[in-house]
Amino acid sequence: MSDARIVDRGYRRYDGPRLGVRGAVRSLAWHSALRALGLRRTFWAKLLPLASVGIAYVPALVFVGIAALLPDQLVQGGGVLPGYADYYGFISAAIVLFVALVGPEVLCPDRRHRMLGLYLASPLTRDSYLVAKVLAVVPVLALVTLGPPLLLLVGLTFAGAGPEGFGEFLTVLARIVTGGLVISAAYTAVSLAAASLTERRAVASAGVILVLLVSTVATSALVAVGADERLLLLNVGAIPFELVQRIYGQAGRTPIPTAELVVANLAWTVGAGAVLRSRYHRLRITR
Amino acid sequence: MRATGLVKLWGATTALAGASFEVGSGVTGLLGSNGAGKTTVLGLILGLHPPDGGTIEVLGLDPATAGARVRERLGYVPEHEALAPDVRAHDLVRHLSEVHGLPSREATARASDALWLVGLGEERHRPVGTMSTGQRQRVKLAAALAHDPALLLLDEPTNGLDPMQREEMLALIRRIGSELGIDVVLSSHLLEEVERTCDATVILAAGQVVASGSMDALRSGGSGLVVDVDGGAELLAGRLRTDGFAVSVDGLRLVVEGAADAGADAVRDAAAAQRIGLRRVQARTATLEDVFLAAGDGAP
Repeated sequence: MSDARIVDRGYRRYDGPRLGVRGAVRSLAWHSALRALGLRRTFWAKLLPLASVGIAYVPALVFVGIAALLPDQLVQGGGVLPGYADYYGFISAAIVLFVALVGPEVLCPDRRHRMLGLYLASPLTRDSYLVAKVLAVVPVLALVTLGPPLLLLVGLTFAGAGPEGFGEFLTVLARIVTGGLVISAAYTAVSLAAASLTERRAVASAGVILVLLVSTVATSALVAVGADERLLLLNVGAIPFELVQRIYGQAGRTPIPTAELVVANLAWTVGAGAVLRSRYHRLRITR
Repeated sequence: MRATGLVKLWGATTALAGASFEVGSGVTGLLGSNGAGKTTVLGLILGLHPPDGGTIEVLGLDPATAGARVRERLGYVPEHEALAPDVRAHDLVRHLSEVHGLPSREATARASDALWLVGLGEERHRPVGTMSTGQRQRVKLAAALAHDPALLLLDEPTNGLDPMQREEMLALIRRIGSELGIDVVLSSHLLEEVERTCDATVILAAGQVVASGSMDALRSGGSGLVVDVDGGAELLAGRLRTDGFAVSVDGLRLVVEGAADAGADAVRDAAAAQRIGLRRVQARTATLEDVFLAAGDGAP
């Protein structure tokens, strides 16, 4: 005789603990991060984000492979492997593509499908909702801004081509983390601000790419024909990477002082954040 | 919950103009035509916007200042479509339970329970976008129930449903309000569904409460008698008219206008004199439609 039986638990009241706003922010951030990566969704939803992440790691794997296979003298002699700051030059297209995907994916569907109304009927407020979204996007973007140079550092270290000594290792590590977070923060703000302006993901993604590319092309062209170099501070597609060069102690590609680069990065990040917050505070949810 | 003198302005438009009402236990209808202020009331209960005047107290708290604590204990089913179509029903309900403060493990179990309760147990792993309108309405209801709210707010929950789905949804709401012990506010412009489903009603018109109270109290406003007879309805009606009563006849049913007590005695005497069998003599109750029309608002 089988022991199997159907147990109808029915609906039960709940008098356990409730995790409040913090729990709500944590849950929304996690849910949004998974969504941005296409996880628990269809194959096609995963394809582009995971491909972008994969592409960002390919150069690191190649360089670690080169370091492991080539003779030490050749690797140590320099010129074969790029510096950590230069690594971004190999993956900037993947970063731009990923940034253009993540922000819109995290914000637009909630408005398009009116999930925002359900979220604001929970302990979340407009501000804590946006905090959750930022907390989702920054670490997801760090997968391409922080992860690949970290892999390079660890791989080169194991291959015997890493920093000399533990102190130098920590210095490089700190530069990688700071640089990765600078790029993540700036691009999180820009991609979320662009996504706050439309309900359509594709339009927002196109907008992000347009902002990053147009600012690069336009400012570079104007400087090339004799405009003030400081015009490059408007180039949000490049100034985070320029600041990363300075974080690694390198001269960078422009003569703009580092302090001005820091201010420009902060201005872009805070300005885009202000656009985002302003848009959400003006949204009408219900009458 | 209790509202006193609620005023809410949207620019030059007055959405609520001094509305006062109470919502007790069971299912309470928030009845009014479109633009009467129903959704504004729900927004104020949720603390989504502060009132421009008056006070509102929900679960002993002011939602304008303690919004997060109030909303933690509220379930809300909006009128419109509000679900991401590419997410599985169970994932969505679990996530919204977590957002309402439930720990992850508890949210997972209760999401399943809530989906079984609304009749979607077998469908719980389907993406919401592949479901019918009725099923999506049920997913919204499950999402509002799973975190065990003290008060459930339903905004036009039968919109877009076919007659059978509508019946099932109303039966479910009735069950939630009675068996599960969760208080419900049912916002609707459909008088008949409020009349059939609710224990009490607040009737809104142009931003003001024109009537409120339990269904029994609201219906007690009727006057006269309803009399059912075995036969000879016209004969009895003639006799009563002779005695000075206004009587209308519909088959074997008579409606006698006027005071119930005096009318009952007259009906008894007239029926005895004419040897007409009486099946029922009962005080006539008002329908919600009578109340609605008497309140000066057109019937929906």
